[in-house]
Amino acid sequence: MTESAAAGLHPQPAASPEAVAPTKIQVNDLHFYYNGFHALKGISMAIPEKKVTAIIGPSGCGKSTLLRIFNRIYAIYPKLEARGEVILDGENVLDSKYSMNRLRSKVGMVFQKPVPFPMTIFENVAYGIRHHEKLSRADMDVRVEKALRDAALWDEVKDKLKQNALGLSGGQQQRLCIARAIALRPEVLLLDEPTSALDPIATGRIEQLVEELKSQFTIVIVTHNMQQAARCSDLTAFMYMGELIEFDGTEKIFTKPSKKQTEDYITGRFG
Amino acid sequence: MSSAPDALATRATGDQRNHRDARHDRWFRWLLMCCALLVLASLLGAAGATLWGGRHAFATFGWHFLVSSEWDPGNDVYGALVPVYGTIATSLIALIIAVPVSFGIALYLSEVAPPWLRTPVASAIELLAGIPSIIYGMWGLFIFAPFFSEHIKPWLTSYLGDSPDDGKVSWLAAHVPFVGKLFASNYPFGASVLTAGIVLAIMIIPFISSVMREVFQTVPTRLKESAYALGSSTWEVMWDIVLPYTRSAVIGGVFLGLGRALGETMAVTFVLGNAMDLSASLLDPGASIASTIANQFSEAVGLQKSTLMALAFLLFVVTFVVLLIARLMLAQLKKREGV
Amino acid sequence: MNTLYLRRRITNWVALSLSVLATLIGLGFLAWILFETLRQGISALDLKLFTKITAYGSDGGLANAMVGSLIINFIGIAIATPIGVLAGTWLAEYANRTKLGETIRFLNDILLSAPSIVMGLFVYTIVVLPSTTLTNGNTTFSGFAGGVALALIALPVIVRTTDEMLRLVPSTLREAALSLGVPQWKLTLQILIRAARSGIITGVLLALARISGETAPLLFTAFGNNFMVFSPMSKMASLPQIIYQYANDPGDAMHALAWAGAFVVTMFVLLLSLASRLVLSRNKVSHD
Repeated sequence: MTESAAAGLHPQPAASPEAVAPTKIQVNDLHFYYNGFHALKGISMAIPEKKVTAIIGPSGCGKSTLLRIFNRIYAIYPKLEARGEVILDGENVLDSKYSMNRLRSKVGMVFQKPVPFPMTIFENVAYGIRHHEKLSRADMDVRVEKALRDAALWDEVKDKLKQNALGLSGGQQQRLCIARAIALRPEVLLLDEPTSALDPIATGRIEQLVEELKSQFTIVIVTHNMQQAARCSDLTAFMYMGELIEFDGTEKIFTKPSKKQTEDYITGRFG
Repeated sequence: MSSAPDALATRATGDQRNHRDARHDRWFRWLLMCCALLVLASLLGAAGATLWGGRHAFATFGWHFLVSSEWDPGNDVYGALVPVYGTIATSLIALIIAVPVSFGIALYLSEVAPPWLRTPVASAIELLAGIPSIIYGMWGLFIFAPFFSEHIKPWLTSYLGDSPDDGKVSWLAAHVPFVGKLFASNYPFGASVLTAGIVLAIMIIPFISSVMREVFQTVPTRLKESAYALGSSTWEVMWDIVLPYTRSAVIGGVFLGLGRALGETMAVTFVLGNAMDLSASLLDPGASIASTIANQFSEAVGLQKSTLMALAFLLFVVTFVVLLIARLMLAQLKKREGV
Repeated sequence: MNTLYLRRRITNWVALSLSVLATLIGLGFLAWILFETLRQGISALDLKLFTKITAYGSDGGLANAMVGSLIINFIGIAIATPIGVLAGTWLAEYANRTKLGETIRFLNDILLSAPSIVMGLFVYTIVVLPSTTLTNGNTTFSGFAGGVALALIALPVIVRTTDEMLRLVPSTLREAALSLGVPQWKLTLQILIRAARSGIITGVLLALARISGETAPLLFTAFGNNFMVFSPMSKMASLPQIIYQYANDPGDAMHALAWAGAFVVTMFVLLLSLASRLVLSRNKVSHD
């Protein structure tokens, strides 16, 4: 952890119980550009360990962009550039020397739409593990089962592990994607609007799952659904036009936000 | 959390794997690019090989090669005019027949036919594109050419030609220049430039009509609907709205058909008659570049072989240019769609 | 006003009738060609087609030509499939929207309709001629050379379908795999190509259908052979080449054999295009 993070130069949650947790990701003066467009303008924030941090804001505010910098998934597209620091456990992940492999095994991601790979349910979960570790068949079975249990999917799929994952329902597919991500035993889990393509019941199950997983992972969730942020996060960041407006305990943000823009957004005056 | 040495170990293997993955990715990328470059290589290679094979012919005959109609293996003198003329004449006849018919089919399939009929009819027309060209050749030789010489040719010679069997020169042949010559009958066979043109037309109709149909479907529905709302008829919507909107792509489709026609070998070779003489009449047999190569290459040696290679080079360059124009025209519509 | 209205209606009626007529002409020729191929082909069908070789002439069959066609087509597809799939992958995954990528995609479309006889002469120059020189002037036409020529015809078909099918794969699939730390080559070979598998198979089947009827590129490469051979290094007969040869023969018995060959080739090609449609439609269902 760097000194500046502790110094409180940057927006930090006020003295709430959540703030006591150590910082997992420290973002310092982060800027992002694509095709010359200035998409993120000097974001600084400290994301605490083993909490759920929600990022909300109107569409186009840069919340997904911010999330996609945390595991550098943006780097697969040309002409995108991030400047600043994203410090994970004391090291800047934006540093070109930071191994992509290590980053991706430490930071897992789940996307807006469920994207199962075109293979069996078992293989979907085992696929990522295989790339990082050599496991015996038995160990692999244990790992896959553990991931599927943690993702609250085991009971539904244990009898059809050899079936194609495309046959699952949307909600099941999304939990499979969560299982796939946590099977690598990451420390951070990024969820990019994970329920926007799901029905209310499936959404409820995912939210419940997020609650259960936070004892093991640091979770950052981007959502356009304010109720969701209020329901399942410990801290909430509000972003607008590429800037971080306010970052605080979720309860404070939703009851007595300190910024006018946050209040306008939360009360539905825009966005 | 893992202990410090443990974390260091993971980091080391992670970094190693990272290097290895990066190296493999680089190799993979190179392999893929080499495969893609083979596409380029085969085009350049085809042009290079035929140019190299034809170098003796080009050196011996020079520019005269293109305008000479001589083809005399006995004296080893060759000119490209007869096959070049045959290639162009058959392809143009094919276009004159195929373009309006293809347009009609595309119009029918996109505006006229009841929706339930569109897919089956379109598939049937596409089936026509899938039939191998040698089948067209067989059909042309054994079925169509006899039919043509029995039923169509006499009609053409007596109404349009200047040497009809019954001796009565038609009004058209007598008053419009060239028509009589074009439809004069000097040989009693079905194989002729016109027959080959018709068979080619049938071959390229499915290509042109499917491109036209596709591009007609790119016209925004609101554009057509607003024209219909003004009381336009189906034909007026097609002629005044759809066709201007898709003009460049339609021309591209026509050129695509032309490219096919120019290079087609088998369908033409069977019904063209393989005559190395220049004749003004479309009802006389002739030769195209492709048919000349197919007929003569196996037995050719020396300068004749080189001449056939030179002809292949000409054919390749001309079809390349035609297809280039076709693709550029088609790409214009795609660009607009992208906007 | 009324006459104008009437004239517009008549124009419309005439134009639409002509479009119906054009469609009937197209379908009519299709029916005519298929009907004649079936009629003449079925009447010439005989067991000896499949058991006897062409060396017996009008008393023979087409067995060696069928075997030769299978071998040459197999060589063509075996060469074109890996190269075409990898090249198409490069276009879709690595070079999409780069200048070189766009150029090669464009040239591939041209190669798609390039005259096949010139491709035959190209392979004659690069395969037949050099091996002729190596063997002291024995002209070495071979089934392998024929296969290479057909591979050049099949290549652009496979490149194009692979390219198109891969570009249909949603980019979220790429992001999901990369976010697991999987390197790009693994992602490409194990996930993307698998996701686009049925589309790519369709492309290979279409390419096979396309080359099965090709005649011109085989005339100066595989050349022909009246006997049954299995070695790809010897001259080899093929169905289209025998059809071409027999159709130009004056004898009626030879014409019957040519029709029988034409029937076999047409059925094979039509079944292949049917199969490719089935593969593609099954794929569409599974994606819903």
